[in-house]
Amino acid sequence: MMDDVEGELGRPEGDFEDDNDLSDNTSTRGKRKSKFSPGIPMCVETLKETGFHQSTRLCLEHIREAMLHHRWQEAAEFMACYPQMLENTTRDSTKQYKEVIWRLSTEILHHHHNSKMEDYNNIYERIKHSGVKHYLMISLEHAFHMLLNGHIEDAKRHLLAAESWRYGKESTDQYQKVKLIQAYRSLLDYIIWCDKKFTLSGGNFNDPVGNQEMQNYFRQASVNLKDILKNPGVWDQFILSYVEMLEFYEDHDEALNVLNDYAYDNNFPPNPNAHVFLYQYLKRHNSPGTKLMKALKILCVSVPSHELMLEYGSLLLQSEKASHLPKALGVVLEMLDFACWRSNLDVWKHLKAVIQKLQLREDWRKVVLEKMAGRKDWWPVLHFTSFHARKDSEVNPELMEVKASLIEVLCPDITLKYCAAGSSS
Amino acid sequence: MDQRFPQQLFPSFYNSGPPDSLPEHCAGTWGCYDRVRAEGGSGPVSNWTFTPGHRVRGEAWRHTEPVPVPLLSPKRTFESHSKPPDPQDFREHMQNFFMDHSQDAFGCMGEILSENFNFQNRKTKSDQNSVNMWMVKNVLSSLNVKICHRTYRSRPLSGLGALLSDAVHSVPPELLGSLLYEELTEQRERMFFSEGATGGALAFVPFSEESSSRRGCLLYPGDQGQNQLNFHNVELQHHRGGSSVLTPSVGDPFRFHLKAPIRQISSASLFNNCCVAVRSDHLCGVWRFSEGTDPRLLQVVNTAEVATCVNASPHVLGEVLVASESGAVNLWAVGKGMLKVREEETNLFFNAKSSWRWCEFSAHPRVMLYADRTGVELTDIRSSPARSHTLFRISNTSECRSGERLILSRYLGDAHCFHHLITTQYSAYVVDERFPGVPMLKWDHMMESAPLFCHVLPGSASSGSVVGGDRTTKVVLGSYSSQEITMLQYSGGRVEACCSRGPPQALHRPRESLKLLPIQIPHRLETASNRLSSPAAGLTCVQKKAGEECICVVQLTEAGDVFYQILEPDRPDADSSPPRPREEETPTPPERKPAEHLSQDSQLVVTDTSSDGEMIGPTQAAPRFVAETPEREQLSDSEDSPRGGSRRWAKQLRLNVIVNDDPDPDPDPDPDPDPDPDPHSVGEVGGAETHAAEALAGSIPPEKTPDVKLSQEVLVTWKRWLQKLMKKSCGKRPHPHSLLFTNSTERLLHPPVDGEAGDPSEEELVQSLRRDLRACMSTRSLLLHSTVSASLAAPDPVPLPDVVDTDAWGDELSQRLTLSWEGEEAWRAWWEDKLGLNKEEKVKALRRKRRREKAAKRASGQRLELSGSFCSSVSYQDLGGFSDSCGWSSAASQGAWSDSEGMTPLSKSELWMMPLGQPEQPGATPTSTPVPTPTTTPAKQKAGDQRTPSSSSLRSLSQKPEVTAASLKRSSRPAEDDLYFTPTVRSVLKEESGVPSPRRTPRAEDFVWSGFSQSLSQGSQARPGPSQASQASQKKKKKSRMGF
Repeated sequence: MMDDVEGELGRPEGDFEDDNDLSDNTSTRGKRKSKFSPGIPMCVETLKETGFHQSTRLCLEHIREAMLHHRWQEAAEFMACYPQMLENTTRDSTKQYKEVIWRLSTEILHHHHNSKMEDYNNIYERIKHSGVKHYLMISLEHAFHMLLNGHIEDAKRHLLAAESWRYGKESTDQYQKVKLIQAYRSLLDYIIWCDKKFTLSGGNFNDPVGNQEMQNYFRQASVNLKDILKNPGVWDQFILSYVEMLEFYEDHDEALNVLNDYAYDNNFPPNPNAHVFLYQYLKRHNSPGTKLMKALKILCVSVPSHELMLEYGSLLLQSEKASHLPKALGVVLEMLDFACWRSNLDVWKHLKAVIQKLQLREDWRKVVLEKMAGRKDWWPVLHFTSFHARKDSEVNPELMEVKASLIEVLCPDITLKYCAAGSSS
Repeated sequence: MDQRFPQQLFPSFYNSGPPDSLPEHCAGTWGCYDRVRAEGGSGPVSNWTFTPGHRVRGEAWRHTEPVPVPLLSPKRTFESHSKPPDPQDFREHMQNFFMDHSQDAFGCMGEILSENFNFQNRKTKSDQNSVNMWMVKNVLSSLNVKICHRTYRSRPLSGLGALLSDAVHSVPPELLGSLLYEELTEQRERMFFSEGATGGALAFVPFSEESSSRRGCLLYPGDQGQNQLNFHNVELQHHRGGSSVLTPSVGDPFRFHLKAPIRQISSASLFNNCCVAVRSDHLCGVWRFSEGTDPRLLQVVNTAEVATCVNASPHVLGEVLVASESGAVNLWAVGKGMLKVREEETNLFFNAKSSWRWCEFSAHPRVMLYADRTGVELTDIRSSPARSHTLFRISNTSECRSGERLILSRYLGDAHCFHHLITTQYSAYVVDERFPGVPMLKWDHMMESAPLFCHVLPGSASSGSVVGGDRTTKVVLGSYSSQEITMLQYSGGRVEACCSRGPPQALHRPRESLKLLPIQIPHRLETASNRLSSPAAGLTCVQKKAGEECICVVQLTEAGDVFYQILEPDRPDADSSPPRPREEETPTPPERKPAEHLSQDSQLVVTDTSSDGEMIGPTQAAPRFVAETPEREQLSDSEDSPRGGSRRWAKQLRLNVIVNDDPDPDPDPDPDPDPDPDPHSVGEVGGAETHAAEALAGSIPPEKTPDVKLSQEVLVTWKRWLQKLMKKSCGKRPHPHSLLFTNSTERLLHPPVDGEAGDPSEEELVQSLRRDLRACMSTRSLLLHSTVSASLAAPDPVPLPDVVDTDAWGDELSQRLTLSWEGEEAWRAWWEDKLGLNKEEKVKALRRKRRREKAAKRASGQRLELSGSFCSSVSYQDLGGFSDSCGWSSAASQGAWSDSEGMTPLSKSELWMMPLGQPEQPGATPTSTPVPTPTTTPAKQKAGDQRTPSSSSLRSLSQKPEVTAASLKRSSRPAEDDLYFTPTVRSVLKEESGVPSPRRTPRAEDFVWSGFSQSLSQGSQARPGPSQASQASQKKKKKSRMGF
């Protein structure tokens, strides 16, 4: 938290919040906009403006307006004139203008009924090579465009070219772009690896040439995939591909290692999928129940509404340990708190199963009371009103039955209209 | 399906730390695919498909009308500033305070000091201790007048000022000034961004749905102070290709009067029961109602600090979250009491110096969302020190830009029970509460000012599972000061990761609608545009899914007006555009026929009326145009450029507006646009309709289809709305301030009454003048001279007193006296002359004079020719014709009448045509005359008498259609002029217009001068110009006049 304060306050030009800039207010009197009405950058009249600047600025405004209202034809007509902005010699921020031209023209091409692949290639290539600052970004977008249009080979070629591109010192942003380009290239390698695997699986894997080729692709892919997994981020796609290849070559330690890191490294964002991938891997390799439960327990803390919680509940139910049964009850009750599970028959049935098993124990009332203590003032309104009864009886009578049978256990002291309303309707 | 979490998310880096990028360009994320995800499992390459994080195409929605439509008739409201106040103006405001509220500003010290000042007369005996101020009084009274106060200062006053300036104010001016400055700065900020309005004071609660209509209850604030809560049933009707309207129910809305203006309305429905939470600055109230029952107030609470947020729970009816500027969030179980959920004195993640707080419910009924300008936290209130974790923060993770601040957060429960929408001034984020910290989706909303309002239209629940047929979830964002509305679309979030769909789409704004509506005359335009550009105060949407799908976006402005616009899916293959006008026409075939029939000759009528409007004669139809729309577009004007097709159509439609200034515009939707059975108007309707149909059927290029056409109903709705607005706003114009300078006009407008009896004929004259004026007002034609000239006929001219002939008085004394009028030198010269003191000098002077005369004669040989040619080109016949033809505009003063002198015919006619924008018609010329001044001769008066009938005869002549072109007319002018002027008149005109009188010797210098002064053209007769005075010959003439 502390670093944020410093970061924010130590930023002179970005901090619009500083109220001490009264002198600043007076100097830009009349033109000052509110802090939350930033205006449109590049569409604001500047102090020294020649006729050329003015006309290009107005042109840009018109293009913007037309595009925001989805009048693509009109925007395209204006756009035909706008690139003369690049001939501007007095301003040094041509990088922005190039990027703007690229963005505007690709978006117009997206929506123009006459756009062809050559047009796209033209604009991507030209802008890509017109400056070094946005080369990587546009290369990546260009590759995406090819992928989306099914030109996987072309895309891979472009990514390879972008990968080998070097220019001076890299900024953080550029570093990350390079990593992404490498990762995407490796993803394409993985896709080709899958292709090879598929073709080989028809015959057998003893074909040495085919195997060697696959190996090559695996090596190419694994280097970069492993590399990018070291950076904190969301890498669902990459880690799955990597793990699949590792599993194929039976490098289980590495696979588990990667998955564990992805799930439990604190530098990484709390991605529910990381736990899911780990759990699925463990399950695939027949890990013992405790390991599975451990994985799910951690997931339960962060995402108690996850669908795997049903599995967690049944694992807890099946386990022999006495302390697991109250846990199972807690997990299911927690699931039912959430809007998306409230009318789910499976969960209610599961709850019934848990309670039935619990009732075999002597202290079951205490356990239920304990779990329901925090819920007793809002659970009735959440689940057991007469409105719920009417709706449940209409939509799902079985659910109504299950719910009605549980009222007595969950809310013993309260008289509810649920049953009465349900039976009457 | 909501419980599923996407199996694979799009790859992204997780960069903690403060944001480091700056807002750079205005293109947002256009043209970007963001990220790409591969799908297809492990098969051959051809099996693999890729999905981008930003899909290029979303659903296409198009407007049914090109403008938003007002839902309710305009109500009275407080007039707001049209311009933001400038904090630097605080001195002016202080001055106003001192002047207008002097008692408050100086009362205390004034009373104390009053004993020591004596403002009485000098002679009043007064105390020894008091200061006499009677002399200062004059200076004080002159302060009201704009003069240089340095020149007219008073020493005692400035002395006292220096002595007492720090003591006389009740409030020290430094303090007052700084407070005023602060206040003005705040007001200015508030005009751009009003924190209190966050969330919006407009809500729609849907009732049951039918195939053709959607009913529900619209909740909006009303009354002048926006302190009245209205529950108004509305119905959305939509037929594809037909008309789509949102109509309020006939009865009055259910109203509650509150104590303070309503800032936010939040509603939540469960099982058709609705709970409405309303926030004003210090009060929050909860109402409950359903379709069948009337709204009922449940409870009201008072908050000590300004409440910033109120939110009704979607889980449990009657639970409401209230946040206030104290930083506390309370869970208010209505009827049970408040429970403090969380309190933060400081901002969450860094110091944003803002006490604004926001709270929302989440997927779990006991987990709240607590937000401020820096980010959002999820707070679990079950444990006693509430546990919190970050859901979103302004940081590098979300690729925020520096200076970015959170503006609004909204739980998207209807669309996806784990999703939240978070907006900043640059972007909008969709956040999944199961994966805190990383936004699932990010858009650049590209709005000019920060979005304060939002409404979410859920897509189909199955979205994400099927790629093809799913509907997107739409997020409609609305901003405050700029009234923008932007629609964003996204899909996914369940089985597949979220992806945005299509670029942001800007919807219409009320303030831009005037451009597409009939043009208003300036003062109406100002009122209307002021009203329409008042900032937005709320936004909601009505969605109709059954039958023909459509979305109705409803927007509230701070003036209390509600506007709506309807969007329908744009299906190019569907039977969209053609049937629209047909359907409009088919129900009324019997009316169509006569209308069409009429329109044949109504063409003529229309052109006639419009030219009448130009002419400003006292006709019936023309003033209607004058009153409403100044633009008189020619119907016959049919240029056929394909580009201007749609625009031309719109222009023609303007004529379609039938001005309906009937005294009581009834609120019921009258199908007949004009109840007035005026043949002219009927003709207009017919003519315009045919044109509308023609233009619709005609050549509108297919590329231009997005320009939706304005329909007749909307036009009528707008017209009525604007009219009512004018009615409402007329009455409350502020009266001129009492302190302003006023001039008594009491006696100016009365005819001078000499004697007791008064002249009976004059009395009659006044009566007829009044009659004429009244007639003029009732027909609302312009007040012209021709209308009153008959009654204003000149009284008998007063004869000039006899001119003293100085030559008749030849004695010395008389000569000397006469000369002494010319000044001392002349008088001295006379004496010198008399005494013979200057004989030699005289001889010399005589010689010089002769020499000069000779030289002058030589030179004048050429000049005479020049000036002669000049004079012949400016023949006075022509001049008379011109001055007359433009008489209506220049007849106001006699000086202006002679303005036309010295202009060539061409330039004159051009000048005349320019502001009117139409070729001059012969009928447009005449009616008024050069003003017959009281001093004119009887001949002149006679001319005036003749002219009035001749002008009316001319109008009938003007309807001859053959004379249209200006050139043709110009050539035919002399003939016309002969119609106007009898030879006597012309000779009189010659006499009048400052022509050198024939009896004077035509000296060359004189000729040059007269031509020159004529081209200077400033009333040569009325007041002699300075150039005249310098002329020696003129001087001589003057002298003769001045003798007694």
